Amino acid sequence: MTREVQSVILFLVGGALLRISAGDVFMRYVKESMRPWLLISGALLVLAGVFVLIDVVRAARRGDVPDDDPAVVDVDEHAAEGGHDHGHHGPRSAWLLVLPVAAIFLIAPPALGAFTAGREASSVAQPADADVPPLPPGNPVTVMLADYAARAVWDDGRTLKGRTVEMTGFVTPNPKGGWWLTRLQLACCAADAIPTKIHPVGGPESLPANTWVKVVGEWVPGGGTQSDTAIPWVKVDSLAKVEEPRNPYE
Amino acid sequence: MSSTDTSSSTKSGGWRFGPLEALTVGLIALLIGQRWISGLFESPALQAGATIFVSIVVQAMPFLVLGVVLSAAIAAFVPTSFWTRALPKRESLAVPVAGVAGVVLPGCECASVPVAGSLMSRGVAPAAALAFLLSAPAINPVVLVSTWVAFPGNPMMAVARFVASLITSVIMGWLWMRFGRTEWLRIPSRDHLTGRSSWETFRLTATHDFLHAGGFLVIGGLTAAVLNVAVPPSVIDSLAGHALFSVLVLALLAVVLCICSEADAFVAASLSQFSLTARLAFLVVGPMVDIKLVALQAGVFGRRFASRFAPATFVVAVIVSIVVGWWLL
Repeated sequence: MTREVQSVILFLVGGALLRISAGDVFMRYVKESMRPWLLISGALLVLAGVFVLIDVVRAARRGDVPDDDPAVVDVDEHAAEGGHDHGHHGPRSAWLLVLPVAAIFLIAPPALGAFTAGREASSVAQPADADVPPLPPGNPVTVMLADYAARAVWDDGRTLKGRTVEMTGFVTPNPKGGWWLTRLQLACCAADAIPTKIHPVGGPESLPANTWVKVVGEWVPGGGTQSDTAIPWVKVDSLAKVEEPRNPYE
Repeated sequence: MSSTDTSSSTKSGGWRFGPLEALTVGLIALLIGQRWISGLFESPALQAGATIFVSIVVQAMPFLVLGVVLSAAIAAFVPTSFWTRALPKRESLAVPVAGVAGVVLPGCECASVPVAGSLMSRGVAPAAALAFLLSAPAINPVVLVSTWVAFPGNPMMAVARFVASLITSVIMGWLWMRFGRTEWLRIPSRDHLTGRSSWETFRLTATHDFLHAGGFLVIGGLTAAVLNVAVPPSVIDSLAGHALFSVLVLALLAVVLCICSEADAFVAASLSQFSLTARLAFLVVGPMVDIKLVALQAGVFGRRFASRFAPATFVVAVIVSIVVGWWLL
């Protein structure tokens, strides 16, 4: 890999990081709190690309062949190729960095949805605090699916009784008929996404997969308790199709 | 890739179709074919795979950048003689000290191989340099913090990783002292990427390490994405069921995946079907033995060294992970 190509790859990778973290696109892939780090690292990579480019231009002015500059002799690259000497270039593995850039700009992969949620069992984490605090005031009150499920499954719906809740999630078709209101949770990035599924009672029979809906309803017992794979129920009072939220995960 | 040779040797004499031109043409072709390419990714499985691939790479990037910046700063601004002075004269004592000293080299394993090589060439005992080589990518603050972040529910994971990696690297240093032969080891004679000034060394090292490690990170992300989508969860679940077998499966997966130590904790966290001990083995083995690292070691220290050192490290790392996992997790 020549110095010119190195600088182009640094520009591409840095530019891709800046591009997705300038808007909301990066939230399809990682948590919102990563934004400043993505911006900083993207900027540093672009800066590194600028420095490499300056080196190239300077070397060209001096009339050197930049790749034979002893300063950039790369010993360990020979190692990576089992000792075959292909000349003094930068690491050949860097070509692979074009792949994520191409994926970001050309495919623009969407947030994970019904495919991922359908493959994996619903997961309801047991609350660390045995004494579950009451929901905030208001009717309807907006709750996260994971919060609703934890209250329904691990606390017998004690804090949900008599409340009207509002939840936003996407549709995952239930292979046995009907559908689940679903939201994926991230620990770090989309590779570790874990679904929370909720069984709607009294809503439409079926909806297309990955449709985002806002459900207003009430807790009803059903779906099992005291199990981290239980799928709790919600009685649907009203349902509206909505746009995908800014952050598609919880 | 002989075209790269011709491009560099003939650059001064007229225009040739070199790597830069290839990259340009390739990018233009990708842009023209965008509709067709994105059409290929209509299936939900491929889309999910692409999302997971991008997310692993994007999540790892800031850690990788931080790692190479810090490691380049140390490579450029801390004189190597510092290490020689800091280490005890007695080799058996120098090994654990060097192992602990791995804390101060925040970089991934790709960075520690050349650093260990230059330590040896500056007169540090090989056993101590090897303990440092193994411990540095696994126990430095960047890696431990990312492990802690990746396992929000299990803060002991970062502790267990530190303990198991340190024990493994010290044992390997002592084993080399006792059984290693000098003729197996080729001590590198010169530092790589030394510029005309500290600043230039810093820039060259950081850029090189990023490009190098970034490429291997892409391989790791691709492999993980393919495994994630192609392998039905039930198959991995069945492998995950056996206590001892699952440890070996993940240890081997770490060797194959070649994920940089700054990013591997996030991949380990996503392998939630496996026991914590199996995932600990993944985190301990990965920074010490993986395909790209063995290749790096073979190049810097010679093949006779790598063919003995890497398998021995694998065995020791797996045993230590099982013991530490049973003790701490």
